[in-house]
Amino acid sequence: MGKHHLGEFEEIVMLTVAILHGQAYGVAIIEEMETRLKRSVSIGSLQTVLKRLEEKGYLESEMGEATKMRGGKRKRYFKVTNMGKEVLRQAKDQRLGLWNAIPDFV
Amino acid sequence: MSTENNASPSPLFLRLFRWFCDPDIAEDLEGDLLERFEIRLEKKGLRKARWLFVKDVAQLFRPGLIRFFKESQKRNSLGMYKNYFKTARRNLLRQKMYSSIKIGGFAMGIAACLLIALYIADELSYDQHYEQKDRFYRLAQSYAFNGIENKQTWLPAPFARAVREDFPQVEAIGRARTLGQREIRVRRTGTLQNSIETGFTYGDSTLIDLFEMDLQLGAPASALRETSSMIISSEKADKYFPGENPVGQQLVLNGDEANPVTITGVFNPARGKSHFEFDFIISMSNVEFFRGEANAWGANNYQVYLRLHPDTDPDALQIEMHNLAVKYLLPFHKRIGNVNAEGFVETVQYELQPVTDIHLYTSDTRDPFQHGNVRFVWLFGAIAGLILLIAVVNFINLSTAKSANRAMEVGLRKAIGSRKYDLIIQFLIESVMFSLLSFALGIILTSLLLPYFNEMADKTLILPLSAWWFVPGLLFASVLIGIMAGMYPAFYLSSFKPIQVLKGSLSLGAKKSGLRGVLVVFQFTTSVALIIATLVVSRQMDFIMNTELGFDKEQVITLSGTNTLGDRVPTLKNELLNLSGVESVTASGYLPVSGTYRNDNLFWKDGRTKQDEGLGCQIWVGDHDYISTLGIVLVEGRDFSREMATDSAAIIINQQMVKDLGIVDPIGKKVTNDPDNQVVWTIVGVIEDFHFESLRGEISGLGLVLGNNTGIMSVKVSTEDVSASLASIKETWSRIAPEQPIAYDFLNDRFARMYDDVSRTGSIFTSFAIFAVFVACLGLFALSVFMVEQRNKEISIRLVLGASMNHILKSLGLNFLKPVFIALFIAIPVAWYVMRDWLSEFQYKIGLSWDIFVIAGMTAVGIAILTVSYQSLKAAVMKPVNGLRSE
Repeated sequence: MGKHHLGEFEEIVMLTVAILHGQAYGVAIIEEMETRLKRSVSIGSLQTVLKRLEEKGYLESEMGEATKMRGGKRKRYFKVTNMGKEVLRQAKDQRLGLWNAIPDFV
Repeated sequence: MSTENNASPSPLFLRLFRWFCDPDIAEDLEGDLLERFEIRLEKKGLRKARWLFVKDVAQLFRPGLIRFFKESQKRNSLGMYKNYFKTARRNLLRQKMYSSIKIGGFAMGIAACLLIALYIADELSYDQHYEQKDRFYRLAQSYAFNGIENKQTWLPAPFARAVREDFPQVEAIGRARTLGQREIRVRRTGTLQNSIETGFTYGDSTLIDLFEMDLQLGAPASALRETSSMIISSEKADKYFPGENPVGQQLVLNGDEANPVTITGVFNPARGKSHFEFDFIISMSNVEFFRGEANAWGANNYQVYLRLHPDTDPDALQIEMHNLAVKYLLPFHKRIGNVNAEGFVETVQYELQPVTDIHLYTSDTRDPFQHGNVRFVWLFGAIAGLILLIAVVNFINLSTAKSANRAMEVGLRKAIGSRKYDLIIQFLIESVMFSLLSFALGIILTSLLLPYFNEMADKTLILPLSAWWFVPGLLFASVLIGIMAGMYPAFYLSSFKPIQVLKGSLSLGAKKSGLRGVLVVFQFTTSVALIIATLVVSRQMDFIMNTELGFDKEQVITLSGTNTLGDRVPTLKNELLNLSGVESVTASGYLPVSGTYRNDNLFWKDGRTKQDEGLGCQIWVGDHDYISTLGIVLVEGRDFSREMATDSAAIIINQQMVKDLGIVDPIGKKVTNDPDNQVVWTIVGVIEDFHFESLRGEISGLGLVLGNNTGIMSVKVSTEDVSASLASIKETWSRIAPEQPIAYDFLNDRFARMYDDVSRTGSIFTSFAIFAVFVACLGLFALSVFMVEQRNKEISIRLVLGASMNHILKSLGLNFLKPVFIALFIAIPVAWYVMRDWLSEFQYKIGLSWDIFVIAGMTAVGIAILTVSYQSLKAAVMKPVNGLRSE
């Protein structure tokens, strides 16, 4: 478990990347998180996490085509790798296990 | 929005982002930034969007995204630096002897430099605290008298007034008449116990303004206006009026109860160092020291200080001042009948000396103050620099000599990828580490030595540990010196070829000693030169102290301030004569040591006052016992006699005066010091010349007459028990003058004090010379250890083959003596030249005889042999097997 532990923010970022499914680049991820979670995220903190996740091998990225928008700069698209999916699934299972272990909730 | 074209984020922050961001991710991040900006621009407006953009950029400034961190992480040189320190520490500990010589020598050099730097800073600080120092001058006058150039600062009483009237460029002017070290007996009115004080001066009220004195009590403008008013330092105020307001109180000076002085002000003495130190200033308004002085142009007794208006050219002004000589001095000299009045006045020049220069730059001017000399400032600075240089040389020599031990390390480091640059950095770090250690040690050493140095140099220096610049300054200096010393070894060591080193074909250290030889020669040249200089200075001192002075300064006790006893003087004299052990007693304020009375007079042969130029001579007043008490030798005629009533008009003159006045057969001839030829003296005796000024000057003419001048009583005691005599003299004094403290001194001590500055210079010089020689020997010692280590195997083989101990000693010793001999050849001419220059200051001096150089040379060679021989002996008596078994 320790090996594949995900931080809370890391998990959310990965889930968001998965939701965007091929359209996940910096600003899109931020927007998605802001609309769904009402949580404001800075580019800096997002970038650090994306970089870390990529180093761990949970995400992979490739550069897209240049457009007229955003000063002609290309976008970097992120994708969840197979290992990333495995880790997400594990995290979900752990959570569910914990939920199920609660005798009387509500 | 209509302003879309202008709607861009602030370019400054965009540039900042591009500068710091890791280039791998810069493009898409910049895109994200711009996209977010565009979105916000639409939703929230330009201002807000721009502000949030800045925030975004700021939040991107984090370790993972900055390019610099990425690079340094790649090369990971922090680890290497750690390793450098570790290697340096290990090296330092492994070679304890070499390390301690490097560090110890360095520390001594640094201590020497620090001490001298403090000394120099103190010398340079004199008179620098006046706010208007750039306009503050004192006056000096120069003139040629009988062809002899003279420059001094005593001026006539009316001079200052004349300057004020004739030169509107002068903003303020004031006179001082300093009493120097003259001892004054002081007591409060209504008390009887006196204490002895020095540091008195008479002064005009303008001095308070000129010297920018900080008056704690009293009004600066009026404090010295009234006759018999006085201002005193707060220190003395606390002494005489503890816890009281001294203003308005009175003090009695020298027992003169009829004319007490009133204190009108208290000044703060701690404002900065000055050439002119005083604790008491007595008002000079309406004071005349002789009748008609206010208009007397012939008597020079006053120091004149002045402040010019801004933008006044002092050079032009001092030339213009010559007019004063024409206007006032010429009529005076004509009136007294000086036949060459015009010629004399023509030579009179006035000079404005900046007050800031007085302490160090006016050694050509006679004045009543203690001086430093800028030459000594430079000289000591140079010596300190030399000591440091010698220590640096030790460092370089030992580092390169021991390079064999490091060669393997260098080779290995290079083989696994170290660049030359990295190695240089490594060795520089090592030397800076040594230097930092040495500085720490040096500061400790300085604080230990400072009290002794202060005593020697008569200073009160302290380490400015709390000054803001001190610690950073020293750190900077230590890094700088560390780099300087490490530069050559660093380049030398880092240039080894790894393949040669690892193959073992490079024999290092022992052979390549060209530069090392030169450096050793340099060290010994310096040492020898310093030894010679030390010898010359101490011999000159001996010469001064023991030269034939023409009077006997031994076993004479002087009691000063006897004039305050008034009519009790004869009683005291008689009582003293009755004591056992007292040979004779004389009362006269004129003594052949400085700080006693002087009286400059012009002398003529009887009846020649209108025809001849007067001869500048001293006329001293003594009593019948003067000549016998001081052991002055009478060469012709007789001493004063109590039987001869006519002796009140008799004079005894010295040989110089006989010669200068051109008197043949002097006994019975008449001379006069009165321009009107009214007072005439009959010569009854001629005495041998004796030195009454410092030996730097020539002896001038002197006449001794009978009179009542009781300033000092001199007591000649017999040799046996001086301390017993002194005790009975003290007892007699306190019986006759119970209210006065006794102030006694020994004539030979007073004489020695005249040469305090010379002896101080001498002892500072000597100690630093010893320092330098010691540091140089440390280096030579370490080198000899190294050489013997290197040749261990060779010596062992020689011993096995039957070499005698003598042979080994010779072959080792010669190696070291060569540079020492070369050093001798360089040092001797340099030292000869410098010391001849120094001696030229003295009128009476030793010659630079050859034995000085021989002694210095033998000392240097002897020290070198001693240093080296221990190691050589050790090598020569070792068991050869020890050197050979390990292979």
